[in-house]
Order: sequence, then C-alpha cells, then structure tokens
Amino acid sequence: MGGGTGRELPRADMLIAIMGAPHTGDLVTSAFRLAQALLERGASVHLWTCGHATGLTRTSLGDEKPRNVVDWARAYPTTAALAAELLAAHPAKLHWFACRFCSQERGADAHIPGIRLRAPFKFTEHLEAADKSFFLGVC
Amino acid sequence: MAEYLLVESQGRYAGPGSRDFLGDAERLAASGHTVTVLLIENGVTDGVGTGAGTGAGTGSDAVERLLEAGVRVWADGFSLEQRALAALLRPGVRRVGMDEVAEQLLRPAVQGVWH
Repeated sequence: MGGGTGRELPRADMLIAIMGAPHTGDLVTSAFRLAQALLERGASVHLWTCGHATGLTRTSLGDEKPRNVVDWARAYPTTAALAAELLAAHPAKLHWFACRFCSQERGADAHIPGIRLRAPFKFTEHLEAADKSFFLGVC
Repeated sequence: MAEYLLVESQGRYAGPGSRDFLGDAERLAASGHTVTVLLIENGVTDGVGTGAGTGAGTGSDAVERLLEAGVRVWADGFSLEQRALAALLRPGVRRVGMDEVAEQLLRPAVQGVWH
C-alpha cells in the first residue's frame, strides 16, 4: 500500500493523468480506450483528472448527451456514464480521482459515485503508488 | 539500456512540436535505447504518404528518419479509420490497436511518454 499520510492508496500498475482539456481533440477517447485495454489485461489503474478534465465525471452531465437533431432516436452516453460503466466493470482495479481544486474552481465538484476528490498536493502520492505514470496533455 | 514508448498525438500540422518529439525518439535510438513510436489521434498524419504513388504527399521527414534509424513506428488503427487515412499508411509504419499498446506499456522495462 502506498501513501502513508492519511488515507492510503492502493497500488496501481499505471497512473493515467488526464491533464488536457476534453473536447479539444480525441484525448478523452484515447484515455478511455487505453484505460479499458489496460484493465482488460488485469492491470490496476489510477485515473486522475485535472483542469477541465475534471468535468468528465460531473453529476450534472447525466447519462445521455443532448439529442442529435440528425439522428433523433440514437442515445449518446456522456463521459460520466462511460466512466460509471468502466468503474462498474472493474471495481477492484480502477480507481478514479479528480483534483479537488480544479473541480471546485469550475463548480464541478459534484461527481458521480466512485470518483474521489483529492487535493492537488496529494498527487505525488499517486505517483508513488503507481509503477508507471502516463500524462495525457497539459493543463 | 531503457525501452521507450513515445506517443505522438498532434502531428506535423499542429506545429514544430511533433518534429521535435520524433527527433527525441531518433536521438534516444541513436543512444542505444529501444524505442517504439506510436502515432495516435492527429499524430497519424505523420504516418501517411510516401510519395510513391499513394497520392498522399511526401510524408513526414521525421518519420522517415525514424524508420532509417530502426525505430519501430506504429499507427493507431482507430485514429486512422476516423480520418479515412488507413489506406494511405506509409510502408514501414505498422497499424496497431490499443490492445497492443497496453501490452507494450505493461512491460516492466517500458517507459511511456505522451506528446
């Protein structure tokens, strides 16, 4: 077990830190695809969101995106719904954290169940708890 | 010697960052390290175009140098499909899925860097 100060963190094979803003590119898609591929291989993953990426799991997103006017009947899941699905599929292997400061700064600190808010100063504990870290984008 | 998986997600059209990052891969390989470069998202644009009748232009010089240096260059199949570029992949660049990327990252000796 890592940490040692306050709450202890489970060990992880990989820390994926999503620093880049979503909706500016394919970053979130890549992050989900990579996390899923790692988890399907039995790896344990810490996923940390920072900056605008903390909005990926905000409760207010709901389960479905607004309707597509050219494909009215199709339902598109929100990132919050995808995150919930991933967490439900890998409850022991995936641990998802959101930066408390970034969340509160954006009024996005109400996250779906399973997301733990952590102070930015705790990030180094995650680096220590993971065998490898992988930073996607910059804040 | 270390083993690296360098992930280029931006491509040459986003500025000089891609060329510099791929240059780092080339220098690491020249120093004796084992390097794999994964082109993903808009980074796959660096993996297309040989000029040899593909109609896709002359391609990226940086990728050409990587291939000459013996660096393994991969391109994410999903990103290629999203951009309708799968048919234009240059020789020497191998199309891979995220499964293979995950396998590579989980190898203990491999360090991953994303750009």
